[in-house]
Amino acid sequence: MARTFRALAALIAYPTPALQAATGDIAAVLADEGLVPATLCAAIGGLLAELAATDIYDLQERYFALFDRSRTLSLHLFEHVHGESRDRGQAMADLIALYREHGLEPTASELPDFLPLFLEFLSMLADDEARSLLAEPVGLLQVLAERLTKRDSAYAAVFQALVAIATLPAVVAAPGTTDLSDDPPDDPDDLVALDAVWEEAAVHFGPGDPTDGCGTDRLRARVRAAARDATVA
Amino acid sequence: MSHFLDRLSFFKKQVEPFANGHGIVTDEPRDWEDGYRKRWQHDKIVRSTHGVNCTGSCSWKIYVKGGIVTWETQQTDYPRTRPDLPNHEPRGCARGASYSWYLYSANRVKHPMVRGRLLKAWRAARTTRSPVEAWAAIVENPETRASYVSKRGLGGFVRATWDEVNSIIAAANAYTVKRYGPDRVVGFSPIPAMSMVSYAAGARYLSLLGGVCLSFYDWYCDLPPASPMTWGEQTDVPESADWYNAGYLLIWGSNVPQTRTPDAHFYTEVRYKGARSAVISPDYAEATKFADLWLHPKQGTDAALALALGHVILREFHLNRRVAYFDDYVRQYTDLPMLVRLVRRGDGYVPDRLVRADDFIDGLGEANNPAWKTVAIDADGTPVAPLGSIGFRWGEDGAWTLEPKRRDGSDTALRISLIEDGATAPVAFPYFGGAATNGFVATAHPDVVTRNVPIRRLALKDGETAVATVFDLLCANYGLDRGLGGDGVATDYDQDQPYTPAWAERVTGVPRDQIIHLAREFAGNAEATRGRSMVILGAGVNHWYHMDMTYRGIINLLVLCGCIGQSGGGWSHYVGQEKLRPQTGWLPIAFGLDWSRPPRQMNGTSFFYAHTDQWRYETLKISEILSPTAPEGDWSGSMIDYNVRAERMGWLPSAPQLQQNPLGIAAAAQQAGQTPQDYVAQALSSGQLSLSCDDPDDPANWPRNMFVWRSNLLGSSGKGHEYFLKHLLGTTNGVLGKDLGVEGRERPQDVAWHDQAPEGKLDLLVTLDFRMSTTCVYSDIVLPTATWYEKNDLNTSDMHPFIHPLSAAVDPAWESRTDWDIYKGIAAAFSAICPEVLGRETDVVLTPMQHDTQGELAQPYEVSDWRRTGAPPVPGRTMATVTVVERDYPGLYSRFTAIGPLLRKLGNGGKGISWDTGHEVEFLAALNGTVRAGAAAGQPRLDTDIDAIEAILSLAPETNGEVAVKAWQALGKITGRDHTHLARSKEDEKIRFRDLVAQPRKIISSPTWSGIESEKVCYNAGYTNVHELIPWRTLTGRQQLYQDHLWMRAFGEALVTWRPPIDTKGTAAHQGRHGNGNPEIVLNFVTPHQKWGIHSTYTDNLLMLTLSRGGPCLWISETDASQVGIVDNDWIEAYNSNGALIARAVVSQRVNPGMVMMYHAQEKIVNMPGSEITGQRGGIHNSVTRVVLKPTHMIGGYAQQSYGFNYYGTVGSNRDEFVIIRRMNRIDWLDGTEPAFQQPAFQQKEVVR
Repeated sequence: MARTFRALAALIAYPTPALQAATGDIAAVLADEGLVPATLCAAIGGLLAELAATDIYDLQERYFALFDRSRTLSLHLFEHVHGESRDRGQAMADLIALYREHGLEPTASELPDFLPLFLEFLSMLADDEARSLLAEPVGLLQVLAERLTKRDSAYAAVFQALVAIATLPAVVAAPGTTDLSDDPPDDPDDLVALDAVWEEAAVHFGPGDPTDGCGTDRLRARVRAAARDATVA
Repeated sequence: MSHFLDRLSFFKKQVEPFANGHGIVTDEPRDWEDGYRKRWQHDKIVRSTHGVNCTGSCSWKIYVKGGIVTWETQQTDYPRTRPDLPNHEPRGCARGASYSWYLYSANRVKHPMVRGRLLKAWRAARTTRSPVEAWAAIVENPETRASYVSKRGLGGFVRATWDEVNSIIAAANAYTVKRYGPDRVVGFSPIPAMSMVSYAAGARYLSLLGGVCLSFYDWYCDLPPASPMTWGEQTDVPESADWYNAGYLLIWGSNVPQTRTPDAHFYTEVRYKGARSAVISPDYAEATKFADLWLHPKQGTDAALALALGHVILREFHLNRRVAYFDDYVRQYTDLPMLVRLVRRGDGYVPDRLVRADDFIDGLGEANNPAWKTVAIDADGTPVAPLGSIGFRWGEDGAWTLEPKRRDGSDTALRISLIEDGATAPVAFPYFGGAATNGFVATAHPDVVTRNVPIRRLALKDGETAVATVFDLLCANYGLDRGLGGDGVATDYDQDQPYTPAWAERVTGVPRDQIIHLAREFAGNAEATRGRSMVILGAGVNHWYHMDMTYRGIINLLVLCGCIGQSGGGWSHYVGQEKLRPQTGWLPIAFGLDWSRPPRQMNGTSFFYAHTDQWRYETLKISEILSPTAPEGDWSGSMIDYNVRAERMGWLPSAPQLQQNPLGIAAAAQQAGQTPQDYVAQALSSGQLSLSCDDPDDPANWPRNMFVWRSNLLGSSGKGHEYFLKHLLGTTNGVLGKDLGVEGRERPQDVAWHDQAPEGKLDLLVTLDFRMSTTCVYSDIVLPTATWYEKNDLNTSDMHPFIHPLSAAVDPAWESRTDWDIYKGIAAAFSAICPEVLGRETDVVLTPMQHDTQGELAQPYEVSDWRRTGAPPVPGRTMATVTVVERDYPGLYSRFTAIGPLLRKLGNGGKGISWDTGHEVEFLAALNGTVRAGAAAGQPRLDTDIDAIEAILSLAPETNGEVAVKAWQALGKITGRDHTHLARSKEDEKIRFRDLVAQPRKIISSPTWSGIESEKVCYNAGYTNVHELIPWRTLTGRQQLYQDHLWMRAFGEALVTWRPPIDTKGTAAHQGRHGNGNPEIVLNFVTPHQKWGIHSTYTDNLLMLTLSRGGPCLWISETDASQVGIVDNDWIEAYNSNGALIARAVVSQRVNPGMVMMYHAQEKIVNMPGSEITGQRGGIHNSVTRVVLKPTHMIGGYAQQSYGFNYYGTVGSNRDEFVIIRRMNRIDWLDGTEPAFQQPAFQQKEVVR
């Protein structure tokens, strides 16, 4: 249950005088909980300082131009994943179902994939679960961080922080580096364990696993496979 | 080598090839099925459609899950058609199928937004001031005002709450009403037929306020003025199913499969049935693939082609051989037998006005309106005023009919020609084809062609007068030799005389044998089938300055072949969406006629011409379009002078109307001891009051507040886009030309000239939209509106007879609201804020003489401008009608949300028919409930969008059979015939909103329209005129091919003729002046409708962008492109005096040389770099256009040529424009990247074959 997520959500929500007044609290939460690495806390400090010191109209105009008007910086995650494809509606329906599974009902007039809303949801989960959920769109967060960096925007720090939280080693291990020594002994009669090992992974945010789903990567892989000379494989 | 090691011992491959490697076996997980199953799991399916400017109105199923729209599919439950007629469904297209993904797009407008600087100023002012004072402080301080006005289009939005934006808008409106007058608050919204309640919401607010609704149909140049001229009807057309009944289909300048996608199947199906078809299109458009014969005239020369077709048809079907059906048809249903006065000019005559009963010493026995009863020669050789002309429509009952009768009930058999009398006289006809510019062909014929015409001399009041029938004049006009001797006529198609096929071949480039072949097939089919030849015509021919000539040329073909009003035949003008079927039910709701009449309405074209100051750049002189046969008189002046004269004479509306605030007039009149009518007339005459149109640039006459909703005015339909930006908005712009003052050219006579043109007339621009369009980008306040799946509303179309709902599948997303709720909210805020400065006020409204009212009989002969003659103006006769209207400003919200008392008191109606509607008002009081207290206590409630829908449906004859019967009864009283059989069987049918949600419903036959709904015929325009003998609403009561108004004759268009495109003179001054080193080419610029969007909607939708080139593009021919080194996909720039635009080149064999096409309308906000010339971002298709008015469209107070909203008036043509095109070097995305991208120089590559 990390308030860091709420703090970060507030930072990338539409700036208001209330937010300007709360910059101190935000800094304190980030420092206290220590989820965000110190270097990034410093970078976020830059954004906090801007928020506190800049005229609210300028802040709002800037926010509008960045996040409301730029498709490439949309804070609606599925804008980047599904764009205007048919899968978007279903993906949102699924996400709402996830919130409801956790006993939460979205009330704001916002879509379920709005990043600050998603972060607020994470703030109500156990840290491990929150971080593993956050890891799903991590590729996307990374891209947003880079796009904002390119624009010299102080907002980049928030996304870098999210990436950092999501990719802490305890949560996600890079493929191929798994430590096999900790694996429990293999019992061929334990069907439950066997099922767990063989269970299909759920559909992920982002480009994801190319062998899964009906995405373009998957289709491309299928087309390539079909064209491959079968006798050489 | 052995294959030992190739063999597998422990494995077999999962993927084994078979069929020699052509097939593989796969064994994939089946989890894809989940996606499929999930798609079909939903909470509900809701019926809705798309409220876009498209005639589709297709039925869609919207799938909703968890409050989210997941997708849509086409509905397939339209009511079945009768046997042997294909069904309507499935209806829809790729655009509609991609709509649901718009709902959650990043481009959605999500929150109310205000320009940051404006909001800051507002909040600062509000700390110490009341709302109206705060607004005054902002706009009266030039610096504060400029701080946001000059930033329009340059970003800078912040969010605000609904309460706050409503307060700003309300304060601005209240201030403007008080300071300048309610007619300085204007609104623009188009095509009410598509989401009519949303249109009505804004129009109702504005009308109750006394604000002005601007027309759109004429502004879009979708109005063909030839239709009101000929038929007295804006436009009425066959439904698409009627194509299936045609024997011959001529598609002319319309691209049916591309722009009428859901209807195109009827075209395919009728081809299978055996119908023949010709397509006329200069480029190889998609429709051409349907053709047996493709004719490709040079663009803009269609009238010449139509004249040659008419020449052949007259020759072979009316003169050499008289087809009995055609002969009977034109005698009964057209003005061809009517007599025209001929007046002496030199050695010959020129055709004058139509003869009237009043011209005879005895008035031919007509006491009522004899000046408005036209005359023909009966079989017995005597002059007769046959029943049905417009004089019979007003002031008497039972004689306005097309029954071939005299007043005494005896039969008539009118003579079409006087050739048997033997007398002839030389008559002069203008010929405009001798001078053409910009590469259009000029022929060496004299500008006045004198031809011999059969005449008769009649003893009239003012002495012996030569007269001729319209038919005889028409034959002479078409250059047909009838053995009468003289010049200018041809016996043979190969003679080079206007308008033979040989002549047309020179002008249009179409081989003469194709013209002759087409004419014979078209008329031959009509003869064999009694009129089942149809012409589908479209924007390709309507968007030209002289569109009337093409249209009247085509209409003549149809009329001469008896096709109008016959099933499977007729004039299918599918340009724009005009058919709001339950119109008479909708009008009172939309324009607040239940509370106050008349509403303020303004013709859009003249408004924008004046207020975007396009008139200051006018290059077309009256002398360039005046006829060499123009009657004597003063024809000096400029284009805006003619418009101002039309406003002054009560022909066209004005907005604003008077330089003085109209709320002060009634009091001034009272003080002067006069009626407001007398006072206004006298004060205008004395100069105490002045008309705003005399000085559109005076700050007192600027429009101040503007609402745009359901429209992308600045991104799509704003012809002269850069002038809008410069003068109306006052922001950065790309106008390249100089105005008349700087150029030292002739200035207007009647309009004040200010050396310094105003920049930024509007104090406040408010736009409602669901997507961030180009218009939103330039607005001061942007309000998020509900999409078409988030509101309850109605659609109707001219393409099919069904009325269709939009229904709220989900709640409006984010903070958006329906248009009805938005305007209701503004009305509430206004009522709360306005008492600071406004109470109950007396407004004085000026309205032009209206068509379909007795006012259309205002000026039978003379055109008399009281300003110039010095005569005192007479309201309703020689100037606008003056009406006093009581406004209850604090009660505006109460009025908005209740049905007012006037419906019960004055009844309801339209198009000259009215009926009592008390029963329906009672019904609505029971259905919607009544208001308990306040300014509207006891009145039926009109609280929600569904209340408004039920009101429309209950009041309209099309959806309430009881009203339909009443309406037909009312018409029967005027015609003297019983028409109620057309609706009797439906008397008990009352269509309600939920019925429509269950299934689209076919409407009920109504006298508002000229076709009927039945189980025997498809809807076809003119059907009731021909089969029920209801006159057309024209001077003669017939289809009128001769237009006799003084201005029509002055501009040489009494009869159809050939007029080459005008010279807009926009390129010469800029050729070689903005050099970037690349060669330039000058091409004609046309803007057809596209395939991947509906106007600008969908052009920001990634799916549609992916299907098309994905951004602005210009289609150019291979020939022209290679001349200037342009290859496909190059960035190119097009420019002229009006501005510049940039786009990618699409180099295509499809396009004919000399022309460049830009599909409209691509948004400025998508994929648009900066211009090399203006330095501004892009420019859109309208950056290189400017409207030019035409005086003949300003005529008023004259039967069918009387004003009606969206019915008659100036039109915004734009296809006569030329642009300079060249390749670009520097592609600057204006994102600060330095240096900008350099387009690589073109290198000719050798093609390897």
